[in-house]
Amino acid sequence: MLAELLFTVFALLAVVGALGLVLSRHPMNGAINLVMTMISLAGLYALLSAKLIFALQLIVYAGAIMSLILFIIMFLNIKKEDLPDERSRWGYYLGGAVIIAPVGMLMAKAVRRLPGSEATIVGDGFGGVKEVGLVLFREWLLPFEFVSILLLVALVGAVVLAGKRRSAK
Amino acid sequence: MIADYLILSIVLFCIGLLGVISRRNVFTVFMSIELMLNAANLAFVAFARLHESMDGHVLAMMVMAVAAAEAALALAVVILLHKHKSKLDTNVFSLLKG
Repeated sequence: MLAELLFTVFALLAVVGALGLVLSRHPMNGAINLVMTMISLAGLYALLSAKLIFALQLIVYAGAIMSLILFIIMFLNIKKEDLPDERSRWGYYLGGAVIIAPVGMLMAKAVRRLPGSEATIVGDGFGGVKEVGLVLFREWLLPFEFVSILLLVALVGAVVLAGKRRSAK
Repeated sequence: MIADYLILSIVLFCIGLLGVISRRNVFTVFMSIELMLNAANLAFVAFARLHESMDGHVLAMMVMAVAAAEAALALAVVILLHKHKSKLDTNVFSLLKG
């Protein structure tokens, strides 16, 4: 009972945050709305008993990535007149919704036919750090190493791109 | 119960897609992509709960790492483009046009 109530609250907050991101004009408001979505998604992960992903969502997504985005938005000091002219965006919203809505409805219909989607009880250690770590380092070791190389490449690339001096041209 | 989570994931993904195709602000487009990645993560975790295996959690972690790398690179590119053109409009950034 409590789980359904919490799911409803978190789902509503997530959808409201996502809509606020898409509809708000200034990227700062959008970023704050996206933070709300990410925090409510963390709550949903906790409801799905994914304890490690819950913590990672709060630390990595809502913490690190969003603060990086907010930092860059504030760093560029965007004023009202710097924003692109988006007076015709309502037409784009309407057209995009007309295109996307049938696909979404089709997918929702397919999802509702999924067998065995009732609530089951999982074991005590499901989703904990130790159990996910065992799976990660036993069966996903090679992808894990690839991800570490990807992060290194991204680090070097970001330094090369953002650290370019104007006089070097 | 799991179907509700998957439907929420579809809704969030569609909203993110709508943001990508209908907005012109670079930051909003970028954050909409982040929203779509989050929706995919929710689907991964929901399916992991459905099948009671933790592979979905590992995949969600990988998606988070990819999102972090993407954020670092995309923001560096946005800073460079803003330095070049001092605009945030995606229509202005057409440097690859022949």
